[in-house]
Amino acid sequence: MTSVAHDHHHAPASPSGLRKFTAPGWYRVLWTTPLVGLIGLGIVGLIRSAAGWDPVWKSGPLATVGTVSFPMGLLIGLGGFDFWTYYASGKKTRPESHDGHGATSWKDYFRINTDHKVIGIQYTVTTMFFFVVSGLMALLFRAELAKPGDQYFNPQTFNILVTEHAILMILLVIIPAFAGLGNIVIPLMIGASDMAFPKLNALSYWLLPIAGITFMAGMFAPGGGPSAGWTCYAPLCAHQPMGNIFFNMAVQWGGASSIMTALNFLVTIITMRAPGMTFWRMPLLVWANFSTSLLVVLATPFIAGSQFFELFDRVMHTNFFEASGGGYVLGYQHIFWFYSHPAVYIMLLPGFGIISEVIAVMSRKPIFGYRLMALSLLAILVLGFSVWAHHMYVAGMAGWLRVPMMASTLLIAVPTGIKIFSWLATMWNGKINFNTPMLWATGFIATFVIGGLSGVWLGAVSIDIPVSSTYFIVAHIHYVLFGGSVFTIFTGIYYWYPKVTGRMYNEKLGKLHFWMTFIGFNATFFPMHYLGTQGMPRRVADYAPRFHDLNAFASIASYFLGASTAIFLFNMIWSWTKGEVVGSNPWRAMTLEWQVSSPPPIFNFEEVPQIVGGPYEFGVPGARHAILGSAQAEPVATGGH
Amino acid sequence: MSAAAEAHEHHGPPPIHYSSRINPAVLGIFLFIGSEIMLFGSFFTAYFFDRIVARPAQWPPLDAAGVPFERPWFLALINTLILVTSSFTIHWATVACKRGNRAGLQAGMVLTFLLGLTFLLTQVIEYHRIGFNTHDTAFAATFFGLTGLHGCHVFIGLLILLAMTIRAFRGHFSPESHHGLEVGGIYWHFVDVMWIVVYVTVYVL
Repeated sequence: MTSVAHDHHHAPASPSGLRKFTAPGWYRVLWTTPLVGLIGLGIVGLIRSAAGWDPVWKSGPLATVGTVSFPMGLLIGLGGFDFWTYYASGKKTRPESHDGHGATSWKDYFRINTDHKVIGIQYTVTTMFFFVVSGLMALLFRAELAKPGDQYFNPQTFNILVTEHAILMILLVIIPAFAGLGNIVIPLMIGASDMAFPKLNALSYWLLPIAGITFMAGMFAPGGGPSAGWTCYAPLCAHQPMGNIFFNMAVQWGGASSIMTALNFLVTIITMRAPGMTFWRMPLLVWANFSTSLLVVLATPFIAGSQFFELFDRVMHTNFFEASGGGYVLGYQHIFWFYSHPAVYIMLLPGFGIISEVIAVMSRKPIFGYRLMALSLLAILVLGFSVWAHHMYVAGMAGWLRVPMMASTLLIAVPTGIKIFSWLATMWNGKINFNTPMLWATGFIATFVIGGLSGVWLGAVSIDIPVSSTYFIVAHIHYVLFGGSVFTIFTGIYYWYPKVTGRMYNEKLGKLHFWMTFIGFNATFFPMHYLGTQGMPRRVADYAPRFHDLNAFASIASYFLGASTAIFLFNMIWSWTKGEVVGSNPWRAMTLEWQVSSPPPIFNFEEVPQIVGGPYEFGVPGARHAILGSAQAEPVATGGH
Repeated sequence: MSAAAEAHEHHGPPPIHYSSRINPAVLGIFLFIGSEIMLFGSFFTAYFFDRIVARPAQWPPLDAAGVPFERPWFLALINTLILVTSSFTIHWATVACKRGNRAGLQAGMVLTFLLGLTFLLTQVIEYHRIGFNTHDTAFAATFFGLTGLHGCHVFIGLLILLAMTIRAFRGHFSPESHHGLEVGGIYWHFVDVMWIVVYVTVYVL
C-alpha cells in the first residue's frame, strides 16, 4: 500500500508514556501475556492443592492450561477482545472511526486490523513463513534419508520433524493460505465493502500464529516433541512425551481460527452480495469458498473432539481410547478421519475455485459448464463426509465397512472428473495466454490428475492393503496436497499479486519458479510411488540399502525444489516495491475485484455495484458482469476472439 | 490507496446492501450452533463407540464392592427442569423487550441467570459427590466428557447472560433494537435443548 497518511482514517498517533501500556498493542502484550498466563497456571495449582492432589504443580495440567492462558493474554493485550468486553460490560463501544482499516506501514500488519485486505495479507504472509519453516524441516529429514543408516538425527528427532512438517503444512500453510486469499478476494468479488464480522475476522487471524507457535513450542517441550505423526493416533499419542499436549492444544487454536473464518465467509456470502449477484452469477471462487466453509463449520469440530479426548486420556486419565479401561481404540481413528478426510477437500475446493478463475480468464472463454462446476463442488462436499474409513482398511475396523467406503470413494472421482474435464473444455480452442498463473494452473491439472488417480487406486481395498503405510501414500498425499493445493495457492498468489500490491511480479522469475518447482516436485515425489510398491515403509528414519538410489535421487531433487522457493520469495519481496506498476485490470478479467483500483480503495467500492450478468462471459458480444458507479466505470474488454 | 479513496476520505463505506432477509448476527449464531452440534456429535460418537462398539460387559460398570455405579438421575432430572425453566424465562424476557416492557425484560434476565447458575452449581456438587472419578473406565470418560462439555457451554452461556443482563439494566435493548438479546437467547435455548439430549443419553439410557 502506498503511504498516503490520513490520520483521519488510521490509528491515532501512538499513545505516549504509561498510556502505551494500557492501549491495545504490543506494549500491553508485554504485561497481559505473563499476567493472564500465570493466573491460568495459578488456578491449576489452587484447584489441585484444594483437592489435595499430589504433586500440586504437575506438568500435564500446567501445559494444558498454559497453552490456553498465555495466548489469551496475548490476544487481550493486542486488543482482540476490547470491543466485546466493552459491549458486554455495557460500556459505550468506540464509534466505528475506521481506525482499524487499511495499513500505512508495515507496523499495521502487526496489529488487530479489521480490514479484510490487510487480514488477507497477514494470513498469506504468515502461511508463507510457515511454508518455509516446515519446508526446511522436510529438507532436514530428506538429508537424513539420502542414504541408509543413521546420519544426522536419531529416530525420535526424525519422527518429530516428520510430524511437525506435516501438521504445519496442513494447518498452518494450506488451509489458512486459502483463508487468506479468500479474505482478500471474496468481499471484492461479491461487491461488499468488508466481511460481515470484521472484528471476528481480525481475531481469527491472530489465532493462527498462536497455533503455529504452539506447534513449534511442542518440539522443545520437556521430555520431547510430538512424534506420533500428524494423525497422532491413540493410544500411542497419549503415551508419548509432553510435546503432544502442545500438539493437541495447537490443533484447537488452528481449528477455532478455521471455523471462525469459515463462519464469516458463509455469512458474508449469504447476506452481503451486491444487488443482482444471484448465486448463479457468483464467481466460482466464491462458490468454492462457500462449499469449503460449510465443510469447515461442520467437520472441524470432530478433530477438536478427537484431540480433546486424547488430551483427557493423558491429563485426566480417562479411558476414551484405552482398551485397558474399556475404551475403544479405533474410535479415535473414526472421529479423526471424519474430519481429516473432509479436510482434504477443505484443502482442495478453494484451489478448484482459483483454477476456475485463472483458466477462464487466461483462455478468454466462458467457463465450460458453470452450473455443473458449482454443483460438483457441493457433490464433493456431501460425498466427502461418507468416505472417512478408507483410511482405515488395515486398522482392524469392521470388515463390512470396507466396500461401502470404497464405493463412495470411487464415486468422488465423478464430480472431480467433471471439474477436470470442464477446465480442459474451457481451454479448448481458447486464446490461451501461458503466463505464470496459467502455467501454474495447467501444471496443477497435470499433477493433480496423477494424485487423483493414485487416490482412486488407494480407494480400492485390494490395492490399499499392500501399499498401506508405504511411500506410495507419501507420493499420493504430496501429489494432491503439493501438486494440488500448493500449486493452486501459487496460482492464486501470482494471479492476485497485481491486485494486492498494484505492481506486477517479475514474469521471468515467476516462470523460472514454476518450472523449477514442477520439475523438482515430480523428481522428488514420483519415484516414491515405486519405492512404495516395493515396500519401503514411511515414517522410518532408516531403510533397506536396496532403496538407496531412488532415495538419493529424491533427496537431491528435494533440494532443487527447495531452491525454487527462494526465487519465489525474492520475486514477491522485490516486486512489491520495485515491480512494474500496472493498471487495475492487467488480466482483462470481468470479476468485480478487477474493476476497482490496485490496490483496492479502502472501502472497496464507492457505491454498491449492480450485477447484470455472469462472471466469465468472455467473447460474448455485449455481455457485462457488473455496472459500477460513475467514477469506477471502465467497460471491460471482453473480446478474446 | 486510490485517488478515489483520497477524494472521498470523509465518508465511510457505502451503505451495505443486504442480499438476504436474515440478520447476519442471527445467521452467524445459527451456523455457530451447527458447529457446536458437531462438536457434541464427536462426543456422542465417542460415547457410541465406548458403549456399543466396544461391547462393555456392564454399563455402568461395577465399583470395588461389585455394585454398579449409581447415576444420580433424579437430581439431574430436577436440574433439567431448572434449565428448561430458564429457557422459558429468557423467552419471556425477549418478548417483554419486544413489547417495550423493561421491568419484564430485567426480571426475565435476572431469573434466567440465576436458574443457569443454580444448574451449574448443582452439577459441581454432583461431581463432587458422585462416587466415581474420570479414570473409572470408559463409562466415566463419556459421563464426564458429555456433562463436562455441556457444563462448559453453560459457563460460557452464563457469561453471555451476565452481559445481556447488564445491558438490559443499562437500557441498551429496545423494541427496535434487540438483536443482542435474540442472539444470546438462541444460544441459551441451544444449551438447554442439548442438555435434554445429554441427560437422556448419560443418565437414563
